[in-house]
Amino acid sequence: MSTESLLERAAAVLAGAQETDARERPAESARTVWDELRAADALPPLDTDPAALVALVCEAGYRGTPAPLGETLLAARPLLAAAGLTVPDGPLTVASGPLDARFTHVDTGSRVGPLGARGTDDALRVSGTLHRVPWARAADAVAVLTEGPSGGPVLLLLEAAECRRAEGTNLAGEPRDDLVLTDVAVPAERVRRVPAALVREAQWRAGLARAALIAGAARRCVELTVAHTTSRVQFGRPLSHFQAVKQEEAKLVEEAALIAAAVEAAAAALADPGTAADPDTAEFAACVAAAQASASVAEITRIAHQLHGAIGFTELSPLHLATTRMWSWRDEDGSEHAWFRRIGRRVVEGGSDRLWPQVTGVGGDPSR
Amino acid sequence: MALSVLGAGAVQLPPETRQLRQEVRDFLDAERAAGTILGRPDSWLTGWDPAFTRRLAERGWVGMALPQKYGGVGRGNLERYVVIEELLAAGAPVSAHWVADRQAGPSILRHGTEEQRRHFLPRIAAGACFFSIGMSERDSGSDLASVQTRAVRTDNGWRLTGTKMWTGGAHVNDYAIVLARTEDSEDRHAGLSQFIVDLRDPHVRTEPIRLLSGEHTFNYCHLEGVELADDALLGRPGDGWQQVTGELALERSGPERFLSTLPLLTALVGQLRRTTCGPEQHARVGRLTARLSSIRQLSLGVAAALEAGRPADVHAALVKDLGTRFEGELVNAVREILPVTARFDATRGTYPELLATAILHSPGYTLRGGTNEILRGIITRGLELSS
Ligand SMILES: Cc1cc2nc3c(=O)[nH]c(=O)nc-3n(C[C@H](O)[C@H](O)[C@H](O)COP(=O)(O)OP(=O)(O)OC[C@H]3O[C@@H](n4cnc5c(N)ncnc54)[C@H](O)[C@@H]3O)c2cc1C
Repeated sequence: MSTESLLERAAAVLAGAQETDARERPAESARTVWDELRAADALPPLDTDPAALVALVCEAGYRGTPAPLGETLLAARPLLAAAGLTVPDGPLTVASGPLDARFTHVDTGSRVGPLGARGTDDALRVSGTLHRVPWARAADAVAVLTEGPSGGPVLLLLEAAECRRAEGTNLAGEPRDDLVLTDVAVPAERVRRVPAALVREAQWRAGLARAALIAGAARRCVELTVAHTTSRVQFGRPLSHFQAVKQEEAKLVEEAALIAAAVEAAAAALADPGTAADPDTAEFAACVAAAQASASVAEITRIAHQLHGAIGFTELSPLHLATTRMWSWRDEDGSEHAWFRRIGRRVVEGGSDRLWPQVTGVGGDPSR
Repeated sequence: MALSVLGAGAVQLPPETRQLRQEVRDFLDAERAAGTILGRPDSWLTGWDPAFTRRLAERGWVGMALPQKYGGVGRGNLERYVVIEELLAAGAPVSAHWVADRQAGPSILRHGTEEQRRHFLPRIAAGACFFSIGMSERDSGSDLASVQTRAVRTDNGWRLTGTKMWTGGAHVNDYAIVLARTEDSEDRHAGLSQFIVDLRDPHVRTEPIRLLSGEHTFNYCHLEGVELADDALLGRPGDGWQQVTGELALERSGPERFLSTLPLLTALVGQLRRTTCGPEQHARVGRLTARLSSIRQLSLGVAAALEAGRPADVHAALVKDLGTRFEGELVNAVREILPVTARFDATRGTYPELLATAILHSPGYTLRGGTNEILRGIITRGLELSS
């Protein structure tokens, strides 16, 4: 089965689900999207080319698809697979944060150190709250990164039924639920100790997923705005004939194209780490995409709304389906400022000789 | 057209460019060690160093996309892109051959007679023949089709009269490609033609126009009845507008449209590394780096489109508007990140002097090669055609 035809089928499913408002029955909508993807044989298998997954998540952003596609395809699945955990079939989400995690089977023979006794296996009992977990109420399972009982990060797979939910939403009405864990027993086969690098990877993967969603929504903003300015007539002419409108509209297109390019480059780096000189080229490209996507939201939504006039400020226009999401997505998994700091620290530490090599992805490895 | 830019696909540079890039970096390291002045902002406008150009040409890096039979090395657009982005990022003195390499060479290859090609192209590729752009005039800037310079038929060629303005390098270069009216016409885009004019002709008089920094790159180029032989005509009479549009597409599409001030950022990072750098400074450096990297990806898309023979005017206009605004934004951001007094009279190459140069050159970034307002018009026209 070719990746392209899979993508086409998946895009067709997302197009069908387009006008479902996330604010109404989001859990059911997500379930429907998943069922339809499965029915159309369009649910990407685990070994799908990551660049195709990024493209699909862009499409989800464009449509405002009410389902955790970015979370599942670009974050939860690859992280679980990297840690050697079984990857469930259904919609997934990811969360991280401090939890109280203890060994279920304490090794009574072990010396009690500062971190407590060791376990005879990795089974854990966890308590605490994970905040604003995307689409938690629609996900079958949650991939959770937290600090393990013997220090160092662990990745756990929690099943939906194991957590109590306090439901919340983001500005677009997408579910952002708190998950409350009360002494949940997680069997050893759903726990893995993971390297610190995986924690970083989880961050930049989440950032890239958001960037892909934003890039898609930005394209929607452009399309809606162009359609509006070419059809709406004032002073006897379409709005698009006015110089002032052209000037702004061009900037809108530019900003959207800019993040599309950054996301595509990050997707390519992810898909093909083999051609990249540095192991962290994919990370750098993902950070850049995350940073630029978040940063461009303000300008894109400002211009799209300004050129729409009052109708864009209401539910009469679909513009809000894109813009309200973008206003939330830009801050979830790291605002542009957080990404900027991360990139800037890396650049300054690399020194002036490494700035350009990092940008070109050739020779930027500081260890070289 | 413009919408297709949203999702044109990432450009993967061919693997052989890695080696080429490394060769350019090694060459630049050697130049730096030998005392060549690098690291200067806007060096493609003011870094005039014919000896450096010749050393580049010896390696095949001038006119490198020209076919071998005309003295080039027949490399593709993407390879040329890699070479020039490395030179620009390093702030190398490339202004001598810039116009010849970027537009005069390709234009002569496309429109020139076999004789013109044989005469000019090998010289361009050898780094021995430099060109100026003779388009603008006092009353014809954005509205280029309104040029007043005229060429009239004579018994054995043309007589050229008029004054070109802002002609960069006319005082040091060898030739200019001049846009002139050869026929009056209802259609203002008709009746224009291009001529290759020897800047050392006794009837060509260049008169300096100082930049606001006092530097001399601009000139009036007075064409005082220049007698041109038939073979000075480039392309066909009356085709000047189409030809000049093609030339502008080349002029607008390259990485010099976002890298002019990068050497200042590079210098800043070097300064910051020696001081204690706080999170706010990191964030501002990160902002610039993210935008720079993103614009570069978009710009690579233009090079790939040109390489594939696809039209790239809208895409190029988009990158040029974003990129040239970025060049200015960078200068302002750098002032905030590490406030120092900009001093044009400080020792050359020191941070305050580089900052001063970048500031004093800043009005030019968003004007040259077609203003940003005009570019945005091109973008929205592209949108209308695609919707
Ligand atoms: C550094 C530099 C190097 C240059 N080198 C050369 C060279 O080597 N050879 C050469 O021939 N020329 C050269 N130029 C000239 C350059 O091409 C012109 O400056 C440019 O085309 C703009 O023309 P103008 O300066 O006459 O401005 P104008 O066209 O008078 O424009 C002035 C302002 O009005 C705006 N404007 C004009 N028309 C419109 C419109 N229809 N809609 C909206 N806004 C509009 C412009 O955007 C600008 O902001 C150079 C310019 C610079 C700055």
